[in-house]
Amino acid sequence: MDLIALANCLVSPSCLVTQTTSGLIIGLLLFLVAAGLTLIFGVLNVVNFAHGSFYMMGAYFAYTVYVFTGSYALAIVGAALGVAVFSIVFERFFMSRVYGGNVLMQLLVCYAFILILDDVVKIVWGPEFKSMGMPDYFRRPPVFIAGGVIPVFYLFLMGMTALIGAGLWLIIGYTRFGKVVRAAAVNPQMVSALGINTGLVFASVFALGGLLAGLAGALAVPVRSLVSGMGFSILIESFIVTVIGGMGSIVGAFVGAILVGMVRSYGSIGFPLFVEGLMFLLMAIILVIKPSGLFGKEA
Amino acid sequence: MSKPTAHTNRAADTPSRPPIGRASLQRDIIIAGVAVAALILLRVIWPSPAITDFTIRVAAYAIFATSLNLLVGYAGMVSFGHGMFFGFGAYCFGLVMQRLALPIPIAILITITATAALALVVGAICIRLKDIYFSFITLAFQMLIYSLIVAWVPLTGGDQGLQGGIPRPSFLGINLATPLHLYIFAIVMLALSLLVMRHIAESSFGYTLRMIRDNMERASFLGINVYLVRLIAFMVAGVFASLGGVVMALFVSGAYPEFSNWTMSGEGIFMIMMGGISTFIGPTAGAIILSLLNDVVTRRTEHHGLALGIVILVFALGLKKGVTDFAADWWRASGDSKGGKQAAEARP
Amino acid sequence: MLQVNGLSKSFGGVAAISDVTLAFPTGSLTAIIGPNGAGKSTFFNLISGGLIPDTGEVLLDGKNLVGRNRAEIIAAGVGRAFQIAKIFPSLTVEETLLGAIGAHQGHSANLWHRFPLPQTRDNVGRVADMLGLTDKMQVLSANLSHGDHKLLDIALALVLEPRVLLLDEPTAGMGPDERWRMIDRVYQLWETEKTTLVFIEHDMDIVFKIAPSIRVLCYGRVLAEGTPDEIRNSPQVIDAYLGTDHGAHAT
Repeated sequence: MDLIALANCLVSPSCLVTQTTSGLIIGLLLFLVAAGLTLIFGVLNVVNFAHGSFYMMGAYFAYTVYVFTGSYALAIVGAALGVAVFSIVFERFFMSRVYGGNVLMQLLVCYAFILILDDVVKIVWGPEFKSMGMPDYFRRPPVFIAGGVIPVFYLFLMGMTALIGAGLWLIIGYTRFGKVVRAAAVNPQMVSALGINTGLVFASVFALGGLLAGLAGALAVPVRSLVSGMGFSILIESFIVTVIGGMGSIVGAFVGAILVGMVRSYGSIGFPLFVEGLMFLLMAIILVIKPSGLFGKEA
Repeated sequence: MSKPTAHTNRAADTPSRPPIGRASLQRDIIIAGVAVAALILLRVIWPSPAITDFTIRVAAYAIFATSLNLLVGYAGMVSFGHGMFFGFGAYCFGLVMQRLALPIPIAILITITATAALALVVGAICIRLKDIYFSFITLAFQMLIYSLIVAWVPLTGGDQGLQGGIPRPSFLGINLATPLHLYIFAIVMLALSLLVMRHIAESSFGYTLRMIRDNMERASFLGINVYLVRLIAFMVAGVFASLGGVVMALFVSGAYPEFSNWTMSGEGIFMIMMGGISTFIGPTAGAIILSLLNDVVTRRTEHHGLALGIVILVFALGLKKGVTDFAADWWRASGDSKGGKQAAEARP
Repeated sequence: MLQVNGLSKSFGGVAAISDVTLAFPTGSLTAIIGPNGAGKSTFFNLISGGLIPDTGEVLLDGKNLVGRNRAEIIAAGVGRAFQIAKIFPSLTVEETLLGAIGAHQGHSANLWHRFPLPQTRDNVGRVADMLGLTDKMQVLSANLSHGDHKLLDIALALVLEPRVLLLDEPTAGMGPDERWRMIDRVYQLWETEKTTLVFIEHDMDIVFKIAPSIRVLCYGRVLAEGTPDEIRNSPQVIDAYLGTDHGAHAT
């Protein structure tokens, strides 16, 4: 524990800017993953424990496209679409077979995919850490605010997530698909009663969730190193985020993600060894006070 | 038999079972005694170190998995964090042995007491939540304990694990530093743990758990204190998981953070699912199967995850039930044709 | 005697039960009727501890039950059976009854003795016999017919030795013949057990035939009370209830 370092940071504007920015970046990436997780839970009542692996695949897809084409824009699009397609396959051929049954069976199928995908990554890309490096157009002098450093890529990342968030809001709020998604979150029976093709809706929800995870992976590649198993810690964190925010609530996922990002960022100064513990403590406290999460509907 | 028309006749050809109260304690003790004797005999006939090690490891896992099934299978409480007690037991026992130099039985008693206290506190909070939220909060507490173990370096050795070995002083002429004694100790611990858990599962309390699992609301309208019963179940399961941890700590002469990581809980769940949650012995079978699988896969291929993942998929999507569930179905079916004699054994 | 005074309960500002005052004399047999949404099941829930009243008191032989927990209310002698009987699918009828008796005698947390305890067996045969479940003792309750499910549910309430037995639509979901068989059992039960019995029923033929005393609820209020004749001739009841399309022979 290093509370003095934490206190010093809290009174230093430059440290505040730097830590808040990095917390924001962590939070925004988490939001993209958690939004998919919470969406899938809201509509299908299924916890997709393999969601972290979707993120990992997004990162590796983006890395590969970038290496071959040199275009980061293509890499982002490729990762998002690639993971979305994979999610549909995952949902249609595997998860859909264990709906409605034992939660443990769903857990096992996801667990199997975590193991398999981690090994596939090792076989295809090798077991060592990979790093894509910063694309050329982001290699510019960072922005300074109150003495705090903000890399240009961070600004891009914030802009992108804002854009994606807005898109998500439009889809959920104003499309027919969004209407079905919102209805399903309130009353799952109603959707099938309305004669909607639930298989199509479920696959679309998984595709959207996968798309978001793929985007998160692609956006993370320039600032994170890639390794088999990288999906797990983000799974655990987005899991904490969804529980804190309320399973099924996208607004909750956003608030939870920013909260967890800040805990991570500032916690790493004050409690370097206990950052994870801190997050789980936060989760446990919120579960005790309001089991359905900050923005979840009452169970 | 003609097809029944009115539904009042339906009982005539539906599965039924003989009166309960057949699974007596004496019978269980005899089975356990025979099993222990057979395993000791096996070791005498075939003193292979590989088999000895394998059996000790399986004993630790089987105690752990059976305790988890007390929650999942009998009480319907799907804990994602049961590994916390396995890890806590291992660390608690290891630390007591290292720092207090007490006899092993005393250290085990201290471990049981400490785990019960931990389970009481954690349980009092977790039990308030139901269904998937119970699963989440147990996972949160497990990771909290995992984080504490990793962070509290001076006490636990951090991510390196508890270093320096666990002393194994002789007691009552038993020297657990010798493989044979440790082997016998592990299977006796397994047999005793299973006996006690079996007794609890077949007690009035055990049937209360089944009632709560089947219908919590209706159970509470029988005047059952659902909270208290669930809390006791959580504590009992936690205590036995810690005994699994003790056996493991004695075997590896140390304790590692992985013991209380999510993977431990995940493996526990996989064991009970593979072995079957509807029979008492299922988790033990699952512990054997998963350990065998791990050993074989590790020996045959470096792509451990890929192979294990495919096996899990085949199991989850193909079989959908544990091996002892199939055995129980078969047993029940053949029992029914002989007048439903053995059917009572199969289902918790 | 079960006496309910000024009982009220609202959900989100909508009153489900408002200011209900009713008395059920010891040993009486009373039917509660009323259109759908009249608050009948809510009324039972408030008495049995399924819901906590906003205001009012529930007196059983003078002791107020409001504010006590479910177990205390059951111990005080309030038993109930449910409109939709969902019991313990994986237990047999016998196990279910033995478990209920065990709970009643305070053995639900007994880890030391094997199930069932000998002393819990005494009452099982009598109750099973009374409800015609004797030859189904070894059937898993998941495999019971709808009617037997309802009977088992009542048996569960009965083994708790209630002084007041609340039956929420004992004939719900049954065909005409089965209905009458069921209600005959309920009537016999009342005669032999001498408990105070209150039941909710939709079938007016049944109500007017067997209930010596009737209470009518409508929109959470007591609309009328009295004998079958009085109810049949009550202008309010005819107006508000029998006159509407919730007809006398509904469902």
